Amino acid sequence: MAKILIPTPLRQFTAKQDSVTVPGATVGEVLTALTTEYPDLRKQIFTEEGKLRSFVNVYLNDEDIRYIGRDAAPAADADTLSLVPSIAGGMPGGTN
Amino acid sequence: MIRIEPEPWAAMVAHGQASYPNECCGAMLGSTERDSKTVRQAIALENAFDGVQAARYELRPEDLLAADKAARERKMDLIGIYHSHPDCDAYFSTTDLQNSCPWYSFVVLSIQKGEFHHANCFLPNFDQTEAPKEELIY
Ligand SMILES: [Zn+2]
Repeated sequence: MAKILIPTPLRQFTAKQDSVTVPGATVGEVLTALTTEYPDLRKQIFTEEGKLRSFVNVYLNDEDIRYIGRDAAPAADADTLSLVPSIAGGMPGGTN
Repeated sequence: MIRIEPEPWAAMVAHGQASYPNECCGAMLGSTERDSKTVRQAIALENAFDGVQAARYELRPEDLLAADKAARERKMDLIGIYHSHPDCDAYFSTTDLQNSCPWYSFVVLSIQKGEFHHANCFLPNFDQTEAPKEELIY
């Protein structure tokens, strides 16, 4: 079980809740439980193939799950998951 | 529609001008009403792009996570991201689009010769193929 912080624009899919607690022993299980309980969230976070969208990073407390075992990272009751987008930009000619 | 209050607006313009000729970036906190958003606070974030920053910016997810935490503590919402275009119009470039997120409003400030010139706001879509303009009031 873990708490998941919901970014403002996604709260319309979680009945306005700014955080939700769902079951699961790993990050993968928690994310599956989240999108099962709130199916409209699925499209926001996952592609149709079930992969995390390119702009979505998942943090377990203060750590990017990519560095701690991704979906297999254990999630305890006291843990907090956050969904954080990757954002960057640039102008033509600025790629060098 | 997105409205930026005078205080955060002044902070964003000052950040853009101080970072010139480099791009600056930051987060906008405020509130979301039915069909409008109000920015009440701007948080300057570090441009983490590893290279020449005159035409590139990159936000660290850790910094964005901290901005979201700050918003929650202040009973506000993280509603948008801003960045500057030094000596360039305030448009949403292909690189901006390909590295955007449909959850937030994106304000672009044009800083010409070190001075604020104009600004626009964009709402990128899911597939990162389009970013229609959002009405911006400042
Ligand atoms: Zn840009």
